[in-house]
Amino acid sequence: MTRQKYLFCYLMVAPAMLITAALGIYPMLFSLWMSFVEYDLLRVNEFGTPFVGLDNYVEVFSDPRFVQTLFNTIIFTILAVAATLGFGLLLSQVLNINYRGRTALRMLVCVPWFVPPAVASAIWMWLLNTDRSPINFLLQDFGLITSNVRWLTDSATWGPFSIPMMSIVAVRVWNGLPFAVIFLLAALQSIPRSLYEAAEVDGASLLQKFWYVTLPMLRPVLAILITLLVIGGLGSFEINYIMTGGGPQNLTNIMAVYSYQQAFSFFRFDLASASSGVIFLMTGFISIFYLRSQLKGVA
Amino acid sequence: MTKRPTGPASSNRKVLARHTATLALATALTTTAALSAYAQDITFWTQPQGDLLAYQDLYDELTSEFRDESGINVSVEVINWSVAFNTWLTVAQGGAAPDCADMYWLHSFSGIGGGRYGPMPITEYRDRWPTLEADFYEGALEDVHRNGEFYGIPWRVDIRPMMYRTDFLAEAGIDAPPDNWEEIVEQGLALTERDANGNVTRWGFALGANNNPGQTLMPYYWQAGGLMMSEDGRTATIDNEAMRTTLKFMQDLVQVHKVTSPEIFEKSADPLADFTSGRVAIIGSTNNSWPSQFDRDYPELEGTWALEINPAGPTGERDSFSGAGYWGVLYGSSDVEACLDWIEFLSQPEHMERISEVSGAASPRRSVMTSELWTQRPWQEVMAETLNYGHTSQHPSAVWNAIASPEPGAVLYDLVYNTVIGGADIDAAVTEAQARMQAELDRASGS
Repeated sequence: MTRQKYLFCYLMVAPAMLITAALGIYPMLFSLWMSFVEYDLLRVNEFGTPFVGLDNYVEVFSDPRFVQTLFNTIIFTILAVAATLGFGLLLSQVLNINYRGRTALRMLVCVPWFVPPAVASAIWMWLLNTDRSPINFLLQDFGLITSNVRWLTDSATWGPFSIPMMSIVAVRVWNGLPFAVIFLLAALQSIPRSLYEAAEVDGASLLQKFWYVTLPMLRPVLAILITLLVIGGLGSFEINYIMTGGGPQNLTNIMAVYSYQQAFSFFRFDLASASSGVIFLMTGFISIFYLRSQLKGVA
Repeated sequence: MTKRPTGPASSNRKVLARHTATLALATALTTTAALSAYAQDITFWTQPQGDLLAYQDLYDELTSEFRDESGINVSVEVINWSVAFNTWLTVAQGGAAPDCADMYWLHSFSGIGGGRYGPMPITEYRDRWPTLEADFYEGALEDVHRNGEFYGIPWRVDIRPMMYRTDFLAEAGIDAPPDNWEEIVEQGLALTERDANGNVTRWGFALGANNNPGQTLMPYYWQAGGLMMSEDGRTATIDNEAMRTTLKFMQDLVQVHKVTSPEIFEKSADPLADFTSGRVAIIGSTNNSWPSQFDRDYPELEGTWALEINPAGPTGERDSFSGAGYWGVLYGSSDVEACLDWIEFLSQPEHMERISEVSGAASPRRSVMTSELWTQRPWQEVMAETLNYGHTSQHPSAVWNAIASPEPGAVLYDLVYNTVIGGADIDAAVTEAQARMQAELDRASGS
């Protein structure tokens, strides 16, 4: 009976496993293989795909543009995750309180989630266009600026920061915030009211309640959320590619965009795979770290 | 109740009827079999030009007429431009392919196909078009030849004359658009306007109509007398005075004269919106589809814009960016002869004129560009005249489209962006670009 039960279970998950294997695992392994061979579309017919070991990795890491891109990706991910978490925690607290119009506000907060990143990018490209930006017009009307802010094209930098990078991060946060808010709101609603009441009896302030009750209770959910946001940030593509294409002067280029450019603009599938391999390693490391912590919790 | 006839006569009639039915059935089966044996079906892929529905309707009409004429059934699939590049890249690597198609970027896709996939040379059938050179513009014909082989018939040409706002020129008291580079600077200065805070409200001159630095560079470099590579596509030839002169001219427009926006190569740049909203007065190398688009979608701009052949560079050349799409056959085609019949049918003057009319694209066939269709409006005549100065944007190396890619990291992108926008030293940038381009050409030629 137990055997039949297992068989039934395997049968039920088989289609999903097959699809995952065919569309997820196989391409991933194939891409990893390509990162260890020469796979140049312009030479593959003549020279095939000889094994080159780590040469592709050496080549991408010798490219200053890739190193800058790697650095950009880390900065982009840290900023986007931090801002999403910060605003997410704040908004989810606001949406968790009982007041008139809460439902409408919850719906409004979710709106950016319904906008696909490609569409969001197009909308924000217009909103942040130097000469046509309504934001610039508004800032000028209020007398806050005299010359237009070049939201997506200013190449001035302050350390690792630039206006285009901050603009792209803002769009990413705008688009990804609802996901974090829904996640955190669900977690907040599952915290027993009695814990807050006990804290109140002990004379805890609002901040202390947040620090000693809310945050510890949210920790498991925050761990999942941070992992998902970091993985999403490291593999982010659409917003950067559509809004700036990595420019100006590579300031907003991130690894997924770099990979795309190597493959489809320069016909170097091997270098694209090596670059993707770096993303894979980074996300893999984070996933393993997360899984280990989860397993420890279970044990 | 009627009594059924019996006897020998009735029996004979039954036999006769049975034989007749058998014969009819056999005839029908044989005819069907014979028809299926001779029926020819070919597949043809094309990218839409102009109005999508009108384009599809035209191809429905053309395939129907061709079927009536030849008995060959052509199954047409319209490939959206957004997926066209990846589609052809897949085809060139051995993916699913049609029998024949409307294609572009011959050198790259042919190079990637390596003589096994992608575009197939049809040199042995070239006699089907005995007056090819006389019938078509030279620049367009260059785009259908590779390594001495002939690949198909050009059907549309992306030619890029200069476009300008007549109303702004009139306001500034300028009689005619710039005729040379010096006049570009003069008029650019006269036409650029700023508000009280120094923000530019109108740029006098835009170098091109898209944000691709490589494509923007090309016509000016040719106008300065330069060439990108040797005829065999093996040697880069960009480290020369023509390149330095061109980059200096472009750099000065942005950095010194400040008549050209420094954002022209950014993804957020929108030259069409800039021109229609009056934020740009002159575009040195315009998009060939804009004039018909303006006629169709911007009637309120009527009388405020015009085309002119490109201004002359320091050597007096007026080369214009040109690129042709062509009808060709693919490796693995199930019926090459049927494909050639179809292409021959399409390339007849009257059919090319219909295609040009519906697509709005300039035709590489001379007779179409001198027909009534292309002489109704002044801009059409300029477009036809500019074709005489057309210089193909394609170059004889499979790696060309990587060199001229609109992405950072591409040789021409980095060269133009870093010097014109970034203000980098031109000499050093040109030397570095020459070395990088040569390395790319070596990569493609297997060196």
